[in-house]
Amino acid sequence: MDAHILLVEDDPSIREVTALGLRAAGFTVGVAADGVEGLERWRADRPDLVLLDVMLPRMDGLEVCRAIRREATTPIVMLTARADTIDVVVGLESGADDYLRKPFEMPELVARVRAALRRHGHEPASGTPAILNLGPLRIDLAGRTVERDGSEIALTRTEFDLLAELARHPGQVFPRDLLLDRVWGYDYLGDSRLVDVAVGRLRAKIEADPAVPSLVITVRGAGYKAARPPG
Amino acid sequence: MTIGIRTRLALTLVGLVAVTVAAIGVGVYAFVDSSLRDAQLAQARRQVDYNLSVLLPGADPRPTDLRSFEASGLPEAFGLRGDGRVIADFGDAAPYTPADLPGGLDQLSPELRSIVAQGQLGYAWQTIGGRPALVVGGQQGGPPALYFVFPSQPIEDALAQLRLGLLVAGAVAILVALLTARLVASGILRPVAAGGRAARRIADGDLRARVPEGGRDEFGRWAAEFNRMADSLEATVARLQAAQLQNRQFVADVAHELRTPITALVAEASMIEGGLDGLAPDARRAAELLVTDVRRLRALVDDLMEISRFDAAAELPRLEPVDLGRVVTGVVATRLPEAAVSIPREPVIVDSDPRRLDRIIGNLLDNARAHAPGAQVEVSLTTTREGAMVVVADRGPGVPADALPRIFDRFYKADPSRRSGSSGLGLAIAAEHAALLGATLRARGRPGGGMIFVLTLPVTRSLPSGDAADTGARDDDRASEPASRIRP
Repeated sequence: MDAHILLVEDDPSIREVTALGLRAAGFTVGVAADGVEGLERWRADRPDLVLLDVMLPRMDGLEVCRAIRREATTPIVMLTARADTIDVVVGLESGADDYLRKPFEMPELVARVRAALRRHGHEPASGTPAILNLGPLRIDLAGRTVERDGSEIALTRTEFDLLAELARHPGQVFPRDLLLDRVWGYDYLGDSRLVDVAVGRLRAKIEADPAVPSLVITVRGAGYKAARPPG
Repeated sequence: MTIGIRTRLALTLVGLVAVTVAAIGVGVYAFVDSSLRDAQLAQARRQVDYNLSVLLPGADPRPTDLRSFEASGLPEAFGLRGDGRVIADFGDAAPYTPADLPGGLDQLSPELRSIVAQGQLGYAWQTIGGRPALVVGGQQGGPPALYFVFPSQPIEDALAQLRLGLLVAGAVAILVALLTARLVASGILRPVAAGGRAARRIADGDLRARVPEGGRDEFGRWAAEFNRMADSLEATVARLQAAQLQNRQFVADVAHELRTPITALVAEASMIEGGLDGLAPDARRAAELLVTDVRRLRALVDDLMEISRFDAAAELPRLEPVDLGRVVTGVVATRLPEAAVSIPREPVIVDSDPRRLDRIIGNLLDNARAHAPGAQVEVSLTTTREGAMVVVADRGPGVPADALPRIFDRFYKADPSRRSGSSGLGLAIAAEHAALLGATLRARGRPGGGMIFVLTLPVTRSLPSGDAADTGARDDDRASEPASRIRP
């Protein structure tokens, strides 16, 4: 696997050892020491995934995240010092796909990076149609695109995988931890905020009225489901 | 039994008033009684003197029996002056008595009659013919002995009226005394009651409670002293809280500052761990120790950060439906796979925060592993009427009974000489998480050696029909529960 990863981290030691570990795991790595440099490197290199520290000089990680999201759906994993603060939610709402809590051991980081990169790897199983329809949406599993009334909707990989997972089994209720397993690759005790925030962002893009969702529906106390086609 | 101040005051005042009123009443009554009688007696004596020394000698011949007495006209003559009537005793069986006093002579007292028989003037207040009267008797140089009867009804009426008046006045005085006692008592007791209320509020944690000051009397000074004490208490507590806050902030800052170098260390150590095989034996051992120690350091700083967030009240539970059985098996699989797990067949769903449950149970397992290395650990999930219970029991050495209450204290180590990989904060953190989830976490010794930790979670949805069997997790007096937190 020679995916290219951009690492934006201001602490030189953390930056160096992290880059070392990622290279040892078979990735190519570009590094940046602050937010502005990180955004420039992202534009220049177009990496397959961005590892983004939250606390950065000149331009913080959340702003970098939002700037990248305005232009592309590149997977972003935030590196955050605290797992239980507002950082996580704001980071996810800014468009991050996942987060990793500091300190982390290298195998942990590599596993999360691989999980994020692998997300597009949900090949349609044989016998499943390559095109799914959900309400006015036309979901092309092979091309990883979503159209509504002929115009394409830009979804991140996480958002697409979440939508595809739900749309494959309309009407079936997916508990949050199942979605964490299927979409994010957490086999035990992922952060359910990942699901809630991603559903929120997905609705903002696909629902006619995100406040009254008709396609991705919350099942109180249980999880989420895709709307069953009428009839 | 003690009598309240209010009652004592009332009794004292009423007693005092009653004695005073009684003394005055008796005095006044005696004075009026004797003046009225003296006046009538004086008047009666003058008339009797006149009758005996002027009218009686003027009768000639001197009457010596009833017939001659009636014939002499003396009874009428005596009656002309004043209202007295006369009884005459001639020493025989036929005395003279007025028609309205039949048998009058026999109603006179023997004392009076013997005084009169000796030639002296005597008197008596007595009832005669059914009516109160003053009887004055005497004789003039021998029989007949004359007894003059003066009605004393007016005096008796006046005295009766006086008695009634005095009784009414006394009753009114006692009533007034009672009311006064009440007023005075509540006046005195109001500041005492205010002080009691203030003290109770302070005891309940409201250090701003004060009593109203004002008044230059003893209670005013007492209130000022009370308030001074409360001021001092409040200031001291505030100082202690500020010191504790500062202390905790310092710990939080230290932990936060350590976070960046530790992040680098942890990543570096994990890289070294991956390359251990390429190192020379000595370097390899050193590298292994390094990796272990970096993990310990990380655990300590993680725990410090975690407990600092509780101190800053930055922690909020995020409740969601949680399958407890899944959490228990998940934690055990990652933290202590060799532990024996027993969970009910049906899922136990509670509204809770799965990551906090993971921390609590995980810390209990870490604690069991650190203090009972190699010993059998049993983890069970049961449902009871009290809620869902997760029990972690080990067969380690346990802790002495007197150490149980401190087991949830920060950095508490039952055996200080023991070197373990834990930070000493694990149980304190578990207790904080439990409190945040509305759960209780208790510890107790296990008969036969070892420890039992019981996490009881409140049930917010219906549980599958719980096994009513005793799970051995009942409270007993040796159970220890972390003290409830007081946030500054």
